[in-house]
Amino acid sequence: MHIMEGFLPWQWCIIWWLVALPCLAYGVWRLKKVMEADREALPLLGVTGGFIFILSSLKLPSVTGSCSHPTGTGLSAICFGPWITSVICAIVLLFQALFLAHGGLSVLGANIVSMGIVGPLVGYTIYRLLKDTSVNIYLTIFLATALADLFTYVVTSFELALAYPAQVGGFASSFVMFMAIFALTQVPLAIVEGIVLALVFKYIVALKPDILIRMKIFSENQINAARGEA
Amino acid sequence: MAKNYWLEILAVVAILGFCAVFLYTSSTMKDAVFAGSDNVGSNQIAELTGKPVESFTPLVPQWEPPSGEIEACLFAFQAAVGGIIVGGVFGYWLGQKKSLTEAKSN
Repeated sequence: MHIMEGFLPWQWCIIWWLVALPCLAYGVWRLKKVMEADREALPLLGVTGGFIFILSSLKLPSVTGSCSHPTGTGLSAICFGPWITSVICAIVLLFQALFLAHGGLSVLGANIVSMGIVGPLVGYTIYRLLKDTSVNIYLTIFLATALADLFTYVVTSFELALAYPAQVGGFASSFVMFMAIFALTQVPLAIVEGIVLALVFKYIVALKPDILIRMKIFSENQINAARGEA
Repeated sequence: MAKNYWLEILAVVAILGFCAVFLYTSSTMKDAVFAGSDNVGSNQIAELTGKPVESFTPLVPQWEPPSGEIEACLFAFQAAVGGIIVGGVFGYWLGQKKSLTEAKSN
């Protein structure tokens, strides 16, 4: 999902940085508040953030004959919301920009917006919509994490299509082209990521249900029901 | 018993299915090179603008891993950091749960 260094005109780099910075600042402020409110939230942040580190380092082959990596942002978005997630993503993306030449400092803003902000925001919205319905919580987790992953790549396509509209067909035709490269490759990866993160969530439910209830991520009844069934 | 592990079974099936799809595509698509989609995207940009890929130079000077080996090392390092944190926390929770149940039974 990285836009590579040098491949985004400087005007767009500045615009995406301007979008990303206030979100990051708000995320840092939220993070401070969550940690002050409940020290037991820190291990949960470690697990959800740890999976962003692990999954975003795995470059997997896909049906299109190219490779891409999952994002792992969904769990963190569900537990802590998109703003705190954007801070963790910024750390991962900074590491990759500095040491791996995946992305770069000028395009970091754009990459934070796709992987750290809009992707998690989509996942979080889906979780909020399904949270209080009768939908199975593991299905909720699956949908939220898989779509957070997929939408990261949709946003990358969107950012590139805005910067490089095709001469024939303009933005729309460019968007379709980039979607074919990024989003299509991502579909199988997003499905596997969703299932794996739902499984991870099952273990969090099994080991530390009280923190999930205390942070109101799911209600006590839902957690108890989930413990019985899976 | 089996009902309680449906999520584990589903995950294994999904991962095996993913591998099967990879084996199929890599054997049928002879021209598939499995390059990163980042690079494929960059080539697409070069095509759209009509400028060669080499003409896109970093706006901010950038260090690049000198070889694929070093890149693999750094990626493994990133995954290891995540793995250590996840494993550590799960262990911490497991211990916490154990000591709680022991305290209750005493």
